[in-house]
Amino acid sequence: MVNIFYRSARFLPERAAGEGLLPWVIGVMIFLCTLSFSLTSSLGAGLEKWSESLTNSLAIQIVTENEAERDSQTDAVMRMLEATPGIKGVSVAAQSDVLALLAPWLGDIPIGSGLPLPTLIDVELEDGNALNIEALRERLKATAPNASVDDHQEWMNRIIEFAAVLRIALTGVMFMVILSTIAIVIFGCRTSLATHRESIEIMHLIGAEDSMIARAFMDRYLVHGLLGGVGGVLLAGGLLLLLANIAEDIGQGLISASVPDLSIIGWLILIPLISGTLTMTTAFVTVRRALSKML
Amino acid sequence: MIRFENVGMRYGMGSEVLKDISFTLERGSFHFLVGPSGAGKTSLLKLLYLAHRPSRGLIHYFGNDTTEMSRLELPKIRRRIGVVFQDFRLFDHLTAFENVAMPLQINGAKKAQVAGHVEELLEWVGLKDRMHAKPPTLSGGEKQRVAIARAVINKPDLLVADEPTGNVDPEIAKRLIHLFSELNKTGTTTVVATHDESIVEAVGAPVLHLNKGELEKQRGFKYQPYDKAVHAAQGTIDGPAEQSRRAAILQGGKQDG
Ligand SMILES: Nc1ncnc2c1ncn2[C@@H]1O[C@H](COP(=O)(O)OP(=O)(O)OP(=O)(O)O)[C@@H](O)[C@H]1O
Ligand SMILES: [Mg+2]
Repeated sequence: MVNIFYRSARFLPERAAGEGLLPWVIGVMIFLCTLSFSLTSSLGAGLEKWSESLTNSLAIQIVTENEAERDSQTDAVMRMLEATPGIKGVSVAAQSDVLALLAPWLGDIPIGSGLPLPTLIDVELEDGNALNIEALRERLKATAPNASVDDHQEWMNRIIEFAAVLRIALTGVMFMVILSTIAIVIFGCRTSLATHRESIEIMHLIGAEDSMIARAFMDRYLVHGLLGGVGGVLLAGGLLLLLANIAEDIGQGLISASVPDLSIIGWLILIPLISGTLTMTTAFVTVRRALSKML
Repeated sequence: MIRFENVGMRYGMGSEVLKDISFTLERGSFHFLVGPSGAGKTSLLKLLYLAHRPSRGLIHYFGNDTTEMSRLELPKIRRRIGVVFQDFRLFDHLTAFENVAMPLQINGAKKAQVAGHVEELLEWVGLKDRMHAKPPTLSGGEKQRVAIARAVINKPDLLVADEPTGNVDPEIAKRLIHLFSELNKTGTTTVVATHDESIVEAVGAPVLHLNKGELEKQRGFKYQPYDKAVHAAQGTIDGPAEQSRRAAILQGGKQDG
């Protein structure tokens, strides 16, 4: 054990029964904590990125069996959209593209087979989303009775809701893990206090102040916390890198957007320091409280 | 310098093991505390070295009333007290050297200052070659000498020793008592609890008789010079050169806490 402060003077034996397990337990706790922390924060960022890319576009489809009706409504909608502010670009999907989209359900169908095809209009919105979707819906109904807008809102809402619940759950996990770590440190501290009661009493009797005695425990628990923190973060960081690699293969989408990027992994270096501070502070409070009850 | 007034003491909720204890220890005095086993000698010493609070009465220390003192003020006073515990209470995981150095470290002494002084004192109690041994490997008498060295290293204002000669042969007992008397001559108030009649007789210092928790005979309470008696007691162990060397060691050991 490192004797950081000379004045704490090694009055505690190097190894105390059961204390050797503490860095491992703290390591597991920090692993869980790091994982839930980085997933929560990156889930938020990923969701934002992803929904932004989706809300910058919307699709309008015109579905009717009457081809003439369909084409006239398409023209009317196009004119209306071009006159609407907040829209960057409008394009009608080619019939071949529509057929390609339908292929999984209908199989290969040649163009001009007489099958009534819907028109798909891709609308690209200007940044900032000045467009009022509801007003657009109203006007569209007046212009073309067979047109409908798909702004992905409905299923995105469900995913956002799911993600929100997940974030709350992960944050809860994080806090529970932090609280259990504190509880474990308090428990460990009380055990060592009981084990070393005789040594503490001698130290008191030869004139040691509480701060000196507490310091020795703080040194020790700082080292436990640092060791556990480094271990846990290395493990969690490794797992996150692995996930990032896999997600890269999946490509664009919610999953890859939600995997923490390297900037977050850089921040993980702070976690051992935080965990060391946490265990040291907990030890300080626990020991000082116990000492104040002695003579 | 230290005054007990109608002091009583009990352990927990038990009955009083000390009753109505009143006495005064003048600065630089030397007292023996005797009495049968279970009389309460260790208990009285515990009050003296502030390991226990009295259940009633007043205890004045260096001009402070300890009964009104907060526990935060105790360390300062405890550093002026050297204690030889009946069961030694050494740190088993530290060497003899480190055990003796502990009070100096607590006092904030520099590492360099500590080493020479500790070595000299250990040499003087005859443990130089066992300096780096840990207490579990020391004999009872050796442990006792380490405990004594730890108690006197800081040159305390008050030295309290509980049966300090219980485990050593008469020769070493004489040396230890001589050490105490040398220290006492430099102004350290000394209280030694003992069963050893021969030491009490040889030194001839005033005696506190304790019996069933009460001070029996209150004789010889004023501090008396007893140098002659001490010199008689130390007999022919050392020549004058050795004696002045020791005095120098003890003098050099003065640490202001
Ligand atoms: N920690 C304790 N808790 C309860 N009672 C105690 C405790 N220590 C001592 N006693 C009791 O207090 C009384 C005085 O004990 P003490 O140790 O002071 O005697 P002593 O004179 O030092 O004896 P000895 O010569 O055997 O060392 C005894 O009756 C003993 O049983
Ligand atoms: Mg006793």
